[in-house]
Amino acid sequence: MGVRLLGLGARMAILLVFAIFFVAPILWLVLAPTKSDHALVTSSPFSFGSFHNVGLAWRHLDAYSDHLYRRWIANTLVYSLSATAITLAISIPAGYGLALGKFPGRKLILSLTLVVMIMPAASLVLPIFLELNALHLIGSVFSVILPFSFFPFGVYLAYIYYATSIPPELLDAARVDGCGEWLTFRRVALPLAKPVVALVFFFSFVSNWNNFFLPYVVLADSNQYPITVGLSNLLASTPSFNPAVGGGGQTTNIFKPELALATLVAVIPVAIVFLFSQRALVRGTLGGSVKQ
Amino acid sequence: MAGVSFEAASKVYGDGTRALDKLDLTIEDGEFMVLVGPSGCGKTTALRMVAGLEEISEGVVKIGDRVVNGLSPKNRDIAMVFQSYALYPHLSVHDNIAFALKIKKVPKAEIRRRVDEAARILDLEPHLKRKPRSLSGGQRQRVAMGRAIVRQPQAFLMDEPLSNLDAKLRVQMRADIKKIQGDLGVTTIYVTHDQVEAMTMGHRVAVMRKGELQQVADPIELYNRPLNMFVGGFIGSPAMNMLDARVERRNGSFEIVVGDVRIPLDETKVAQHPGLSAYKGGRIVLGIRPESLEDAALAGEGNGPRLRGQAELREALGSEMLMHFTIAASPAVTNEVRELAEDVGDDRALGQLAEGPSARASLVGRFSPQTQIREGESIEVAVDARALHFFDVDSGLAV
Repeated sequence: MGVRLLGLGARMAILLVFAIFFVAPILWLVLAPTKSDHALVTSSPFSFGSFHNVGLAWRHLDAYSDHLYRRWIANTLVYSLSATAITLAISIPAGYGLALGKFPGRKLILSLTLVVMIMPAASLVLPIFLELNALHLIGSVFSVILPFSFFPFGVYLAYIYYATSIPPELLDAARVDGCGEWLTFRRVALPLAKPVVALVFFFSFVSNWNNFFLPYVVLADSNQYPITVGLSNLLASTPSFNPAVGGGGQTTNIFKPELALATLVAVIPVAIVFLFSQRALVRGTLGGSVKQ
Repeated sequence: MAGVSFEAASKVYGDGTRALDKLDLTIEDGEFMVLVGPSGCGKTTALRMVAGLEEISEGVVKIGDRVVNGLSPKNRDIAMVFQSYALYPHLSVHDNIAFALKIKKVPKAEIRRRVDEAARILDLEPHLKRKPRSLSGGQRQRVAMGRAIVRQPQAFLMDEPLSNLDAKLRVQMRADIKKIQGDLGVTTIYVTHDQVEAMTMGHRVAVMRKGELQQVADPIELYNRPLNMFVGGFIGSPAMNMLDARVERRNGSFEIVVGDVRIPLDETKVAQHPGLSAYKGGRIVLGIRPESLEDAALAGEGNGPRLRGQAELREALGSEMLMHFTIAASPAVTNEVRELAEDVGDDRALGQLAEGPSARASLVGRFSPQTQIREGESIEVAVDARALHFFDVDSGLAV
């Protein structure tokens, strides 16, 4: 009995150590905007400052370069949502076609999708930059949206879903009931794809939201930055991280609490998207269609 | 409504497999035709070729007078009931039934009228607003039927629509489908591997094997006069007993010799099988339906032929007693027998076939429930010599 308790205690202790290791930075980040820059380094790391400080930090952040932070968030929403919309419009029908269609080259396209999917996105940034340059798109919103819309993982997810979750008989039934190929997709396959639409939406949106390297390379004007590039810009404007700031008559109120707040606010849209996608994901849309 | 015909229709896959080989079959307008056979016999392929879900490699399929080879499913004006029902899970029962009509842009009032009528016929009125997932198996099956009948199509195609239902419901739905088909008079092609469904439902039954049509006839004809060993063995449950036998002629009359038993044939029987004389002194496959066997003690007086053996297993069904017994005779060993055993998954029979020629044959008799014979006892069985079937050993064709 004693040995078992000891074993349980040891396991709990190990888990606790790991939990603390991972939770501590998050907790620190959440608490950071409640403190002043000075208190952040002098007071206990996990102490709570005041809501007044949060408001102050937001005013400083919002005032930075004439509401530039808001613009970055808005830019990111526009880039991410536009690209995600294009991704959905392409990857769901593509996955459907690859899973249930019969056409020459199907296997080749499927293999290529897989290959491109495992290539790191950063490896394509340079050729994409050259391509966009040739098309005179550098500096326009399309230089971000178009490359973001290329999301082979979404095609793969849709492929897997259609190949495993939609009984081919269901599509045959629609064809016999008078649907052509387009109506079969539109009236039967698409309404049943809600779970995978949510999944692709979530992954595409998050990956677009977090993409840093491509917009960093193709956008020059800070007014066009998405939040990722904006945050790095903000970091460079903080005296703690960049001692050069503050000299030469520049005045900026961006300190560590403002940075922490900027990071936290940037996560909120992703969290909201996750909550909505998750609800659609767990719903069993296919129950009762065919006898299991 | 229209008839459906296959003219030398074949389905050949890329690797050369012939799933359907030169099928010639005409289904009359309003007829209920059952396609039956073991799995892989091509019956579902034939049905899907009519639906347009399977390409026709060779030959012609016609609906009415129209060749439909190149026509897509949506233009064939046929309705299909699938084995899995294939109901649209995101639509209510009402919308499932109305789906095809909406696609065809039928006026709303007409859709409502037809859906209500179908719901009434199929007893689905209380469920119209529900989604398929909240229905029982039988209800889902009826929704699938409803989806077909509102169409008022040229033909119904049904692909094993009852195989997912429990036994009791299947019996009821069998009668319901037959009645609905009779009332509507729509040409129907019904695919099943269940020979009871085939026998009870169809005006005519087409038995298929390995992509080839074996025999088309009305159920009773099929049962009483199978054209070959395969049809004889496939139709009927329990299956026909097949024994290796010899034909001999003694004192001017024919006798069938099974093991050490001689079964004399009367003149009427011989006249029914004029081909028998060609087998004089040779081997033949003797087919005996279980109901042609009876406990000798209950068969009444008479000196008819008797098989002697040992009772192995009794299956009391109340109205009858299925008696499994062995006798000293060789079972027929042919490809047909092997295939039929494979189809029903009869491992014991397959094991016996693998062992090669055997001196003991297992038989099943449909005895009166009054029989007193117990397992393990020796048994004397009366044979109705008027109801025997004879098949050629090599070709399997009826003699």
